[in-house]
Amino acid sequence: MRALLLTTGIAALSLQAQPRVQTFTLPNGLQVLLLEDHEHPLVRVRLHLKMEATDTPAGHQGLPLLVMQMFAHSDVADLKVEEFNRLQEESGIQLSHTLKPDGLEWQLVARSRDQDRALGLLANRLLRTVFDPSMLEIQRLACWRQENRQADDPHTRLLQALAQNPDSKPTLTTLGAISWEDLLTFRAKVFRPDRAVLVLHGDLGLEQAKRLVLLSLGSWTVQAPPKPTDPPSARPSNQPLAAPAGPPRIIAPGAGIRIQAFAVQPSQLTPETRLLLRLLIDGNATLHPVRMAAHQGGLVATLDAEADASGSGAWSLLHERLEALCRRGFTSTDLEHARAVWQASRSLDSLHPEAQVDATLAEAMGRAVTMEGMKAVSLEKLNEGLRSWLAPANLRSGAAGEPAWLKTLPKP
Amino acid sequence: MRLLVPILIATLGLSAQVPRQSEVQERRLANGARLLLVERRGLSAFHVTLVFRGGRAEEPTAAAGATDLLARTLYGATWPEDLEHSKAQPGLEALLKQEEGLLESLRLERLRLRRDPSAASHLPSLEASLDSLQAQLRAHFSPSPLSDLYTARGGRQTAEATADALLVHTELPQEAFEFWCRTEAQRLRTLQLSRFSQTRALLAGDLRNQGGQGMALLCGAALPGHPYGRDLTDYLPSLEALRWSELRAFAHRSLRPDRLTMILIGSISLETALPLVERHLGSLPVPPDAEEAVLPEIPADLGDRRVQASLGSEPRLLTGWRIPSRRHPDHLALRMAAQLLSGGQASRLNTRLIRQKGLVRQADLIMDLPGGQFPGLLVADVRPADGHSLAEIEGALHSEILRLQQEPISQDEWLRALAQLEADHLRVMDESAVLARSLGMAWAEGGDWRLMELEIQRLRTLTPEGVQAAVRTWLKPSHRTTVLLEPTPGAIQDPLEVEMARVLTALAATRITDPAQREHLVSEGLRQLRMLSAEERRRTLKLLEAQLTLGKP
Repeated sequence: MRALLLTTGIAALSLQAQPRVQTFTLPNGLQVLLLEDHEHPLVRVRLHLKMEATDTPAGHQGLPLLVMQMFAHSDVADLKVEEFNRLQEESGIQLSHTLKPDGLEWQLVARSRDQDRALGLLANRLLRTVFDPSMLEIQRLACWRQENRQADDPHTRLLQALAQNPDSKPTLTTLGAISWEDLLTFRAKVFRPDRAVLVLHGDLGLEQAKRLVLLSLGSWTVQAPPKPTDPPSARPSNQPLAAPAGPPRIIAPGAGIRIQAFAVQPSQLTPETRLLLRLLIDGNATLHPVRMAAHQGGLVATLDAEADASGSGAWSLLHERLEALCRRGFTSTDLEHARAVWQASRSLDSLHPEAQVDATLAEAMGRAVTMEGMKAVSLEKLNEGLRSWLAPANLRSGAAGEPAWLKTLPKP
Repeated sequence: MRLLVPILIATLGLSAQVPRQSEVQERRLANGARLLLVERRGLSAFHVTLVFRGGRAEEPTAAAGATDLLARTLYGATWPEDLEHSKAQPGLEALLKQEEGLLESLRLERLRLRRDPSAASHLPSLEASLDSLQAQLRAHFSPSPLSDLYTARGGRQTAEATADALLVHTELPQEAFEFWCRTEAQRLRTLQLSRFSQTRALLAGDLRNQGGQGMALLCGAALPGHPYGRDLTDYLPSLEALRWSELRAFAHRSLRPDRLTMILIGSISLETALPLVERHLGSLPVPPDAEEAVLPEIPADLGDRRVQASLGSEPRLLTGWRIPSRRHPDHLALRMAAQLLSGGQASRLNTRLIRQKGLVRQADLIMDLPGGQFPGLLVADVRPADGHSLAEIEGALHSEILRLQQEPISQDEWLRALAQLEADHLRVMDESAVLARSLGMAWAEGGDWRLMELEIQRLRTLTPEGVQAAVRTWLKPSHRTTVLLEPTPGAIQDPLEVEMARVLTALAATRITDPAQREHLVSEGLRQLRMLSAEERRRTLKLLEAQLTLGKP
């Protein structure tokens, strides 16, 4: 216990070494957070646009992905996309984008001497991108390919199949249903300064940051969805493939036999309960021979069975192990231990500028793990969370192996 | 000459931003281990990378995969039972020896039964004994969650096996520094490897699952007879026969202090760090000198080689040129050439082959495959766009190489490539983990960690003419190996092609009875249809579907 207290105390002290967050808000509602760090002549920028479930109409799965794809391949104001890229690269600026479950993100890294140009390019990309209607069909197909590209090795394919929520997976039908108006409406709805959070990290001071952001993004205003002109209506003519029925069975001649269950992260858990459970479950040795690992959006239980094991036996073993863990639950010592580990691990962020940006953004979005939240997690809540996370209804299970062996699995 | 002024301006601007060598402090311990320290004030944690020179390239054939096994079984996790002296827990040591014997008996029994399936089998009894023994072994392992010693202190450790080194990356809160020194010294003294059998099974499973890979095929064809050309999947039987005691012996030979460099980055001064490192890691014994591995030398001029294979789910062209090791004066010029060709969206391959000609969907260039300590490969990995064949993109790639050899490099292009490499270097300096890895690999591949900084300084003295000369010397047909990969029919993912394969197979079945001829016809048909645009393929599909419908009774 003394060791735990010591770890906690030292970790709390060491956290003071990390850059302090300074915040300001532009008149247009854009929230800005600055982490000032002059160690290296570099500036990192992260812009997050919050997305809500209602932004994507039913049957239009893939709309945010298609919008991002259109952004990346369209001209910016009077700059052709090639010229835009050239401007960016001649200063060694890195600009990329990511689609997150809760929003759209742009990441920027630039030498501090190029910060004006870098922010200017980001602002141009956001505010002055001109979608080219002729690109829609090409990008629709590119999105489908990107989402459906499967790994060559069967075990990765199995995990891909399990981790992807079948209800939110874009198909040719849902991508084909997205019209030109849908793109413009989504853009007008989501690309608003009052939905955005901007985090700056690195070699710039508060006044400099204010000037820079005001100059580049100060003119960003809420736009009404523009009326479409001559909307293209062509749709991909090839029909979608039928969705596979039942749990995934990956035929893997020559590869080992694997049974896997993906436990989807329940949305009702607090960030603190989620984190504590991940710490306690990831690599938990009590589940042997089942291995547990944290994965984006959930937890993965894996059992590699012997070639002569029966499919139904291995299937039951994996699910029994998970049920046993739910029944057993964790103890108050486990909970205290996991809290102390979290506390100590926070200092590791000081090594990673991107992790500091992540943490600042999470705090601004109200999804950060806090000390108060940690204290509020009781043993009952933790074990309740465990049971909801590993509940059979929350598991997506599948298998990979020889065709003959797959036949020995229980019928769905 | 016109290039000189902008280059000078860029150079002057850069000199203020490139970190100085004095940031890295080096000390050699009495047992030969090196400590490189980069002191960064304000950090509340430290990052340390251990680099053991050697790696896969120096494994004897009988121990192929040993470096990968050590990365997984000795490092990556830190179990309390692996750090106790065997004298303190004689039971565990004895159980591991027994497990080794049983695993070997099982392997031999399986081989015997494969040769003579009618023979009486001892497998069930051997398996039962192994199960019971492994249950006893597990009783020595801590069952509580968070039993990993580093995780329990808020830290983490990962390890990677490369062609030239074994790298171990650890991050821990600042106050755990002495604990880290003690733990790592103890790990190397004990070499317990208590989870050897599980790890070996997992590695073998992963290799089996990953199957044949294009890059491995290319390395094998381009670097024949050299360990760089070795594909670990070909050595699965010897990996499965590798014993616990053999891996320990290999670890004793290869994880020697005189082959170790530690790169420490944190808010720790040399005065604080050095005594602790010396006390714990400096006291590791140095085994008697082992013979240095003598590796074959492969002439770069082996001749133009070609391999054609059905592999993966999409067509792909891999072209590798044999290039010199990282220490060679031309190496940096080739790196610049790779940057000009495929570094960023405005690079030559991206501009010409992807956007202007629309021949290619994706083009990447990789330097030093699989490693840089010995002569390796510069690889172009190119995937064709719809409606274009591998032959077309191969021709286009060769044209771009010739263009680079013969046509002057524009000033804009040169400065852009330079700016990108320099900005990359700054990003390396900013990320502790990346900086430690880069310093470590410069030492493992080039023999000196200073190479990382020397390279960035030498970049400024490079000239476009020097780069073109290096490209003419190294990127020529006699140094080249080309691998053309067509997708395996069963692995096709493009929905249009899947449909096409289905219709072609059905049509072929109505006319050809020989299954081998049928399969050949389908794959040849698919290959030719890939040359058409998506719209043309759709129309062809409709025609073929119509034929199929007409042919039905």
